[in-house]
Amino acid sequence: MTTYLVVGAGPSGLGCAVALAQGTGARVVLIDRIPVTGGETGWDEPHVRQLTARAEAAGVALRLGALAVRWQDRRLLLISPMGVERLPGDHLFYAGGRRPATQADLGITGQRPAGVLPATVVEHLLTSGVALWQRPLIIGNDIWAAPLAAELRHRGSTVLGLGDADWADERFPDGRVEVLGTHRVEGVRVHTGADTVGITCDGIVLAADARPNRNVDGALFDDADGVTFVQSLTVVGAVERAADGAAVARAWIHSQGESA
Amino acid sequence: MSPRSDYDVLIIGGGVLGTAVAERLARTETRVGLVEAENDVAEHASKGNAGVAVSYYGAPGTLETQLINTSAPLWEEVCARLDVPYRRIGGVMVALDAAEAERLEHTHQEVLACGVAVQALDARQVLAREPLVTPHAVAGLLLPDEGIVDPMRLTAAYARLAATNGCDFRFAERVVGIERDSDEVLAVITPTSRLTARFIVNAAGVGAAGISRIAGGEPLVSRPRKGQYAVVDRAFGQRLSSIVFCTHLPDTKGTNVVPTTHGSVLLGPTAQDIEDPDDRATDAETIESVVDRAARLVPEVRDAYIMKTFAANRPAGDEQHRLRFDTKVPNLLHCTDRSAGVSISPAAADYTLGLLREAGLDAPDRPSAQRVLPPVPRLRTSEHPERLIAENPSSGMVVCACEQVSSAEIEAALTGPVPATSVEGVRKRTGAGYGRCQGSLCLAGISFMTAMNTGTDPATVMHTTRGTVGS
Ligand SMILES: Cc1cc2nc3c(=O)[nH]c(=O)nc-3n(C[C@H](O)[C@H](O)[C@H](O)COP(=O)(O)OP(=O)(O)OC[C@H]3O[C@@H](n4cnc5c(N)ncnc54)[C@H](O)[C@@H]3O)c2cc1C
Repeated sequence: MTTYLVVGAGPSGLGCAVALAQGTGARVVLIDRIPVTGGETGWDEPHVRQLTARAEAAGVALRLGALAVRWQDRRLLLISPMGVERLPGDHLFYAGGRRPATQADLGITGQRPAGVLPATVVEHLLTSGVALWQRPLIIGNDIWAAPLAAELRHRGSTVLGLGDADWADERFPDGRVEVLGTHRVEGVRVHTGADTVGITCDGIVLAADARPNRNVDGALFDDADGVTFVQSLTVVGAVERAADGAAVARAWIHSQGESA
Repeated sequence: MSPRSDYDVLIIGGGVLGTAVAERLARTETRVGLVEAENDVAEHASKGNAGVAVSYYGAPGTLETQLINTSAPLWEEVCARLDVPYRRIGGVMVALDAAEAERLEHTHQEVLACGVAVQALDARQVLAREPLVTPHAVAGLLLPDEGIVDPMRLTAAYARLAATNGCDFRFAERVVGIERDSDEVLAVITPTSRLTARFIVNAAGVGAAGISRIAGGEPLVSRPRKGQYAVVDRAFGQRLSSIVFCTHLPDTKGTNVVPTTHGSVLLGPTAQDIEDPDDRATDAETIESVVDRAARLVPEVRDAYIMKTFAANRPAGDEQHRLRFDTKVPNLLHCTDRSAGVSISPAAADYTLGLLREAGLDAPDRPSAQRVLPPVPRLRTSEHPERLIAENPSSGMVVCACEQVSSAEIEAALTGPVPATSVEGVRKRTGAGYGRCQGSLCLAGISFMTAMNTGTDPATVMHTTRGTVGS
């Protein structure tokens, strides 16, 4: 019997798994490192709950609380506190979500002081009630930027942004960023062609250019063998991401029909 | 003789040399202490270096070469004892044109004169040994005994074993003054303590000249020499089997392509003399030139994924290495090395102990001292992960997915002698947050674990050794 493995039980992965189970006779296993479905969206979001129920009804096997580590020779290595598993699969659908671009992705140079954090980490810290920074600079304007700006402002921070950052309290020209500060972040220099602008800030949030989050060896690059990536970088919202996941699955089923 | 002092030997500086000496002395009947200005070991040159445990570095006949020759065969034993990753992967030095081939021949003679294993390679043999090297290589040298070590783990392990055997570590204590009794050092002054000792080991790296000055010792010169690196990810590193060195220039060693024990690959370093030891800034032009020069050796690095860039400062100065007593202050022993401190550390520790014994330190070896650090089970490199997890389920709880670091490994870094006290300290000891996503998924979790273990909260927990996560 054909087995499809779906890694990532956020809305995209759920949508993909349901479509695979309904559109093929195959066994479908949905895997996630955290012990609940929903991913970044959260397990209790109504659409996530609905999708999870649909997945179960469609016979999708849930394998939650296990980290997919390596995809090799049509086997997926899973690690969890329960032990090690090597799940056989005919094809891997990877729906591992997205992350902000790193300092290296963005060509950010300069010092490496404390207080430069990826937006995903800042989100996590703020949700846990951690107090951060008076004058944070949010670099980039991808999905995380506006909500984080609102949250930080709500807690009393003056939020700085670059370029078209219309959510910022203070806006500066966009350009290549150089970080200043030997202990904590003290500021940045922004190089814009001929000009250099100095900005004083006490924290930096990396919220630019979403990238697909990839950490399974053997499923890192777009051309990986036996892998389809379900990682839209632009689609936002649980309903839309689930629909996108389902569309990727259907397109794949369709292409299999043609090549058969 | 003065009344009993606090320590027989007080070491200033917790880099790879200070901690290696501490580890050796702690296995003798010596009361040894170490003062470090930062909050952790391995913060300066010993953090940001390439981790090549060289078999050859420079001219024959120097003390540095002698210490490299003595250390080189010991690495497997030392790293097994200290639970530190090490691999003897060999190095290929590559000549790209006739002029470089001629200089390479000089290097060949120098390596032979140092008594180090080396083999001349023709263009075809270069590619056979390392297929990723450019087809434009005209000749090469194989240095089969070159190895790679994790320099941060090495330094942290020296420190942990030293502390296990009784060395007293004092962090966040910068030496700001030195008290003398006639021509000898009597006590070392930090903002919070006065510490007396019979001997002082000056392992302050780029701070060594400052220590000598306040001790009334020789007028040494210390100057930071910055090196910048770009780090390429493991997916590329898996394909590279050897260190690839460029042909040395007369005055500089140039940019290399160096696999790390994490599987990533370092492109660099550069060499730039600067003034401020805290200047560890990268700049766009230099990083670009590093990648260009690395691509001349290994063209495919151009398409590889760069995870991170960083800079570190070598403790340079008027002498390339300095392992000797001060000529003016008889109980002040200088212990620094500009460019090969990691590589000489095993032998330098024995050598330093020898100097101290000659100078009258009564330090017989203590047979009951612990020689081996109990290994921390590491998920990613484990051959039997199922056994690790069966023994301790937290070994199957992965916190850093990119580098596959388990919560058990992070817990081990945060507890025991000389623990990590910052998120950066955890990274140095485990590699967590070092991978492709640079902590986008795991840094919050690591901050929480660090906060729990250091009795702080996630806002005030240390991010680096100098600054907090929040503010
Ligand atoms: C870019 C680069 C690449 C390198 N590559 C290699 C390599 O591949 N192989 C190799 O063998 N070597 C390499 N090296 C060299 C190696 O890193 C150094 O030789 C070595 O780390 C020096 O160790 P150390 O303990 O003397 O100095 P450091 O690690 O700099 O430690 C000195 C310590 O002294 C402390 N200190 C200073 N002043 C005071 C004070 N007043 N009071 C208290 N504490 C003080 C500092 O805080 C610091 O922790 C490289 C170096 C660089 C920078």
